[in-house]
Order: sequence, then structure tokens, then C-alpha cells
Amino acid sequence: MTAQTKPDSAEIEIRDLSKVFGQGAAAFRALSEINLQIRTGEFFTLLGPSGCGKTTLLRVIAGFEQPSTGSLRINGKEVAGLGPNARPVNTVFQNYALFPHMTVAQNIGFGLKMQGKPRAEVEATTAEMLSLVKMEAMAERRPSEISGGQQQRVALARALAPRPRVLLLDEPLSALDLKLRKEMQSELKRLQTETGITFIFVTHDQEEALTMSDRIAVMSAGKILQLGSPHEIYHAPSERFVADFIGDTNFLDMAVKAVNGTVAEVTLPGGKPGTARLPEGFLPVLGETVTTVIRPEQVQMVDAGQGDMDAVVDNAVFFGTDTNVHLRLDDGQGFVLRRQNSAETIEPDAGTRMGLRLSPGALRVLKG
Amino acid sequence: MAEAPERHGWKWLLCAPALVVLVTAASGPLLIVVAYSFLTPGNMGGVVWEFTLEAWFRVFFRRDIFDPESITFNQAHLTVYWRSVWLSLQTTFICAVLGFPTAWFIATRPPSSRTLWLFLITIPFWTNLLIRTFAIQEVIRNNGTINTVLLQMGVINQPIQMMYTDFAILLGMAYVFMPLMVLPLYAAMDKLDFRLVEAGYDLYASRVQVLWHVILPLVKPGFIAGSILVFIPAIGAYVTPRVLGGGRTMMLGNLIALQFGQGRNWPLGAALAMLMLIIVVGALVFYLRWANREEARNV
Repeated sequence: MTAQTKPDSAEIEIRDLSKVFGQGAAAFRALSEINLQIRTGEFFTLLGPSGCGKTTLLRVIAGFEQPSTGSLRINGKEVAGLGPNARPVNTVFQNYALFPHMTVAQNIGFGLKMQGKPRAEVEATTAEMLSLVKMEAMAERRPSEISGGQQQRVALARALAPRPRVLLLDEPLSALDLKLRKEMQSELKRLQTETGITFIFVTHDQEEALTMSDRIAVMSAGKILQLGSPHEIYHAPSERFVADFIGDTNFLDMAVKAVNGTVAEVTLPGGKPGTARLPEGFLPVLGETVTTVIRPEQVQMVDAGQGDMDAVVDNAVFFGTDTNVHLRLDDGQGFVLRRQNSAETIEPDAGTRMGLRLSPGALRVLKG
Repeated sequence: MAEAPERHGWKWLLCAPALVVLVTAASGPLLIVVAYSFLTPGNMGGVVWEFTLEAWFRVFFRRDIFDPESITFNQAHLTVYWRSVWLSLQTTFICAVLGFPTAWFIATRPPSSRTLWLFLITIPFWTNLLIRTFAIQEVIRNNGTINTVLLQMGVINQPIQMMYTDFAILLGMAYVFMPLMVLPLYAAMDKLDFRLVEAGYDLYASRVQVLWHVILPLVKPGFIAGSILVFIPAIGAYVTPRVLGGGRTMMLGNLIALQFGQGRNWPLGAALAMLMLIIVVGALVFYLRWANREEARNV
């Protein structure tokens, strides 16, 4: 984890925060022991499956829910107990929640109007925001008269217009089709860079999280499992859940022979020796079986006997740029290998025996 | 294609039951009332089949008994019309002001208990209107509940006159017609997307601002439907003004009933009723046009 930020650069600081819904036997712990620092100007993503608490955490930051315990500071100021209208934070809602009885321009100017800004300023900022999201031509339309992607832009402009310190985005792209979603991803990145506002983005889409974020917090069952850059989260998952949730992964069970600093010497399936990196602060018991993880693209096909492990091809699944080769190792464990395609590559036949060479340092031991 | 018109030739017969109901139950009686308003009153009630405009003339004007040439406006009739419209508008307003928080309360309950609250709202409908009205009388009459309590507490020295006043009629009508406002308002609130309310708070609006700028514009269709449902029966109300207003504060319903009863002037009663219908329909058209123009501007 690389969350060692100086406290003075933290836009949002969350300490020992928990949120419990209901009481007694019906109580549901939606968030527990959340500790988090989000830096100023950062694109921060809360990633997890539905029900993991990511939206609850966002709603606590927005002020729609109050934390049960713990502290929440925005720009150094404790805000627990304050309502959403008293926090320098705006939200882009999942279904946009645009006011249907107002025009696009009125929607965008709403926050400034409620803040009591003079009319001229409201109009000037509205015009500025309209051009920022390229919606000048739609200013007088109603939300019902524009497309989903355009509504998305208006929702963004409305939330950005009051110049919040932090912008919260609750799965804002989930309602868009794939092409539009890709467009909006780069659009969001551009807006974040241009405005310099801290973005907190909630999504269950791991690809979206990897492409857009400066840092990602992977959540499950109300807890943050791992916090780090997209690179760290993808290449160095600390737990099985994180590895499984993000990208395709091979899990291999193997015995530890020796521990050498941060590297464990292991016996690979098939009997050859190998090395696997250890997660920080984790010491496996010698001789015990551990679970290791390796990404499908970090393995190369070689001739049988030439690699670290031998396997037999089950089948090959072609999907354009890549082919996934499903294999069975000699000890019976399943394995997937991803190979990039060129015009010349041919799919290996089922039943072919081949060797697998692991990229150096790619094999990692998981904590749990 | 060639067969199509032929088929339509007999298909309309399928509408016959509906047409029969519409003609006999809705249009028929109305046409009879229209016809009666142009006939001559019979001596013992009823009508004589002789065409005259006398009834319509007497709705607006009156002749001096001793000098048939001296014609004046019929102040009594106009006063009753004006009072009916004014009391009905006030009733609608009271129902809207009190109905809004009531409907809001129900709409914000957990879905499981909403049915119970709606049921409670409609319970008064299950009791006879006359009995409910007498119950109100029991509460507000000079030796009724309110006056007795206030007298015994020493707040007042003599009973407050509440019966036979406009206040009594307003209280009675607001009580009777409240569900007609609450139900459409609730329906509108039930459809309200509460995320819009959250969006309002998120964009720095206070509670009052959210109410004014977000909630009220969005539940306006409920207000429009509720206002129509309350105003129309209110303007023709008979029992409530009769019991709570006594003979002193007469409303249209009572005036019309009087002409068909003791007045023994059926054509005049019919003409008064037709005028009421014209006023209601006119007001409705005007109101809906106004509301729709607002709608076109706002939604």
C-alpha cells in the first residue's frame, strides 16, 4: 500500500468510520472500520461488487447518510452531522436525477441560485459549464428532450457549476452503452484535469476503474480490502477477492520450501522449483500449501519440457486481439493462458502437450 | 382494405351498451333539466309544456309585484352564486394546504404501512355524510364540545357562535372533501423520485427551497386533480350548508333544492342548476388551460 500521504494534502480524511443500518437483530453493518485519505485533485475510485458498501460510503461523504461512528473531514473540517447542503461536495447521481421541470440551463444554474449567487454570476457560470460539457445548443431543452449521454453531461455540469472541492460520481456511466461509455470515460478524465477538482468515482466495472483512476480502493462486505494504484491493484493483489474481482486470474496451490526475504521458494505443479513474491508482512509456514496468483498474459507457451510447468490444451477461445488457451496442468489444476494474436498465429489443438514459462516475478503468494 | 368499411358498419354496435348507459344515465337527465328550464311552472310543482324564457329571466332579474315594468337585478340569486364560488374556492385552498402535509406524511411512510394510512384517510367515506355532518355540529354548536371545554376552562365567558356561519360550512366541507385532495396528491408524491429531493439538498438548497423549487412543481398535477375533485362537489354541496349553515347561509345546492321543493318552481330550479353547470365547466376549462400553459412552460 502506498497511502502514506502527508495529512495536509488530504482532501478527505476518514477515520474508523462505520455505518450500521437498523437496530438489534435486524442491524446491518454496511461499512466497518473505514480508514481512508483521499488526496486533493486525485481521481479516486471505490470499486467493488454490488452490496459491498461503496455507494453507502459515497452517500456518507455526500451527507445523505450520517456515519454511525468515526470521523469524516473534508479539507480539514469535520463534517459528520452536517447535511448535504452544508458540504462543499456535489454528486452526480446514478440516474442523473435531473430536475424534469427545469431546462438544461436551469438545472445547471440551480446550485448557484440556491447559494444565493447574483443572477449575472449564475448566468455566466452556467454558460461556462455548458461550453465545458459542449451542451451550449441544448441550453433551453428539457432533460426529457435530450439523450442519455447528454443528460449525463448536464448532470456533470450541474454538479461542477458550484465549484465543489470534491465531486462524487455514483456509477454515472452504468446506464450508457459501451461506445458512449468509452467516450464519457475520457470526457470525465478531461473534466477532472481541467477543473482540478477531486473526483470520487464509484463503480463495479474493474476495467473502468483501471483506466481512469489515480488510486483505487477495492471494497467488499463493507471493508476496504486493498488501496493502491491501478498497477498495484492489478499486478500485486493482496487478497484472493481482489485478484479474482479484477481481471482474469489463475489461482495455483503449491507448497513453500523456503522463504528468502520477500520471495518464497516453491514447488511448482509438476515438481519443478520456482519463486513467488510474498505480500508485505506475510510469512507462510514452511511446507504448507499456499495459494499463488498469476495473470493469464504473464505466461508464455514453449515446447513441452522447456518451461516451468507442463500442461495439456483443453480448448482455445479466440476473441479478436487475443486467444485464451484453457489448459490442464499435470497435477490436475486448471490454467488459462492469454496469447496476443497476429495474422500468422494458429490456435493450438485440443490435446496438445506444451510447456509454460512464467514471466519472472509474476507469480505472487496471496495472504488468504 | 375494401372490406374494412363494411366491417366497421356493424362493429359500432359493440359500443351499444356503453352508448345506452351514456344516453340514459348521463345525457338524458341533463337534457330533461335543460328542457325544464324553458318551460312554465305548474301550480303544484312539475311543469306545464309551454315554452318560456321566464325561468332564465328570473335567475338574473326580478319584477316588482305591483309594477311589472320595474326590473331589477336579482341580488339574492347573485349573492348565493358568489357565496358558493367563494366558499368552494376557500374549501379547495384549505384542503390543499392541509392535504399536502397529510399526503406527504403518507407518501414518506414505509410502503408496508402506507396502505393502512390511506385506509384511515378514506374511513370517513364509509360513514353517512349526514351523520358526519351532525357530528361536526355536535362539536361546534353553542353547547357543544369546543364551547363546553373553553367555558369550563374559563377561556371564554359565553359560547362562541360557530354554527350557522361561513366558518361552520368551511369546516364541514373541508372535512368532507379532504380525502379527494389527499388521494391525488398522494398519487403524485408516490411517483415523485426522491433522488430529486436529494439532488436539491446536494445543490445547497434548504428544506424550504427544496419544497418550493423541487417538490411543489413536481406534485402540481396532484394539486390540479385534487382541486378539481374538491371544487366541483363543493360548489353544489347541499347537506353541509343545509345542516351547518342553517337557513342563513344558503349555497347553490340549497337554492336549487328550494325551487324544486317549497318554491314549486321547477323551471327556475332547472335554470339555476344549468347556470351552475355552465360556471363549473367554464371554470374547469379556464383552469385546465391555465394549468396546461404552466405545464408547457415548466415541464
